Amino acid sequence: MTRSFVATGGPKKAAKTVAAKGKSARMYPADDVAVPMKSRKGTRAPTKVRASITPGTVVILLSGRFRGKRAVCLKILDSGLLLVSGPYKVNGIPLKRVNQAYVIATSTKVDVSGVKVPATVNDAYFAQATSNSVKSEDKFFDNERKAAIVSDQRKADQKAVDDGLMKVVTKEPMLKQYLNAKFSLTKNDRPHNMKF
Amino acid sequence: MVFTRFVEVGRVCMINYGKDKGKLATIVDIVDGNKCLIDGCNTGVARQIITFRRIALTDLTCEIGRGARAACIKAAWKKGGVAEAWAKSSWAKKLAAKAVRGNLSDFDRFKVMVARKQKSKIVAAKVKSM
Amino acid sequence: MTKAQTTQPTRLYVKGVHLGYKRGLRNQYNHTSLIKISGVDSKENVDFYLGKKIAYITKAQKAGKDGSKFRVVWGKVCRAHGGNGVVRAKFARALPPQSIGAPVRVMLYPSRV
Repeated sequence: MTRSFVATGGPKKAAKTVAAKGKSARMYPADDVAVPMKSRKGTRAPTKVRASITPGTVVILLSGRFRGKRAVCLKILDSGLLLVSGPYKVNGIPLKRVNQAYVIATSTKVDVSGVKVPATVNDAYFAQATSNSVKSEDKFFDNERKAAIVSDQRKADQKAVDDGLMKVVTKEPMLKQYLNAKFSLTKNDRPHNMKF
Repeated sequence: MVFTRFVEVGRVCMINYGKDKGKLATIVDIVDGNKCLIDGCNTGVARQIITFRRIALTDLTCEIGRGARAACIKAAWKKGGVAEAWAKSSWAKKLAAKAVRGNLSDFDRFKVMVARKQKSKIVAAKVKSM
Repeated sequence: MTKAQTTQPTRLYVKGVHLGYKRGLRNQYNHTSLIKISGVDSKENVDFYLGKKIAYITKAQKAGKDGSKFRVVWGKVCRAHGGNGVVRAKFARALPPQSIGAPVRVMLYPSRV
């Protein structure tokens, strides 16, 4: 681009003054001003969570380590993932994030208005800590499998949520056993005809 | 026991096909060996000719003449207490139970499962003690 | 655990059978397979299964890269095939011909309920 130095300064400055005054300037740049193209990154519309899932919905997990288990949805995180808890005390599902596609929403609702989810529990909370300290070679020869270390912070958060949740769960008869039981299809179950 | 559940004028039948599936109607006239004229003025089924394959006969009848009109059938149903008799029949009860079962939520199904287990436990204990 | 689990503790898939491929009278299109899902016998019932993942699982002699002897070909339900509840499915690799008549697993995800 050829630069033309007019009295107002460079073309960028001219454009700025135009924008600032809100009315047509006395001078306008002789050349077209290159405006950087607006990035489309980061402007994605937030994920829509289907209407059947709300905070308090009992969901059936369909995939992963906890598949078949039922858990309570506590919150919908900014990323569109669901924050669920077993509660841990009942069926061993800790506070974790799940994708709504891997979940069946049941019509059973639990009142979670009294459950205080710590404000720190957000998407960043679940981001995996990258450990560069242990070299891959060391890991390879380290045959002893160490149990995953759960931080005290996590334990405290889990307890805080579970305490609130257990109060509501124990109130409704059978609900605790229900959450502890696994969902499974049996011989004549037709999921397309079933109501959840 | 003599067979009495015939295709006849006044026979109450249930439709088992199409949009009126599961509704009751009354046979008003017989067209031929395959078809009959039914009227479901009590249950919202239009007066129509239907093949026998699409209806199931019930044990119930009502007192109407051949080709009776809607008002007549309604009166006969009321007089004969058809609706009440149907509700009492085990057929209707089974259908109702099936509908209830089909509408259960996941939590309800779990409760039913637990109740069934409890029941069979009691039964098994009784059988063992006998 | 005292005893090794031989089967999955919970079945979270619906059984299906690979019927064959999409075809015309003379041509066969191996890229699309026809799947019969158990208990689905009308076009209306297919709606629930649209988009659901399907797994065709075989057991091989040698363990694969992931250390498992099971090989999986993943696919998904595309649409109904006719009015009797058969569905068309696309797989990551076209299913092999010996899979005709073999069971496939129709998973419950991605879920829309």
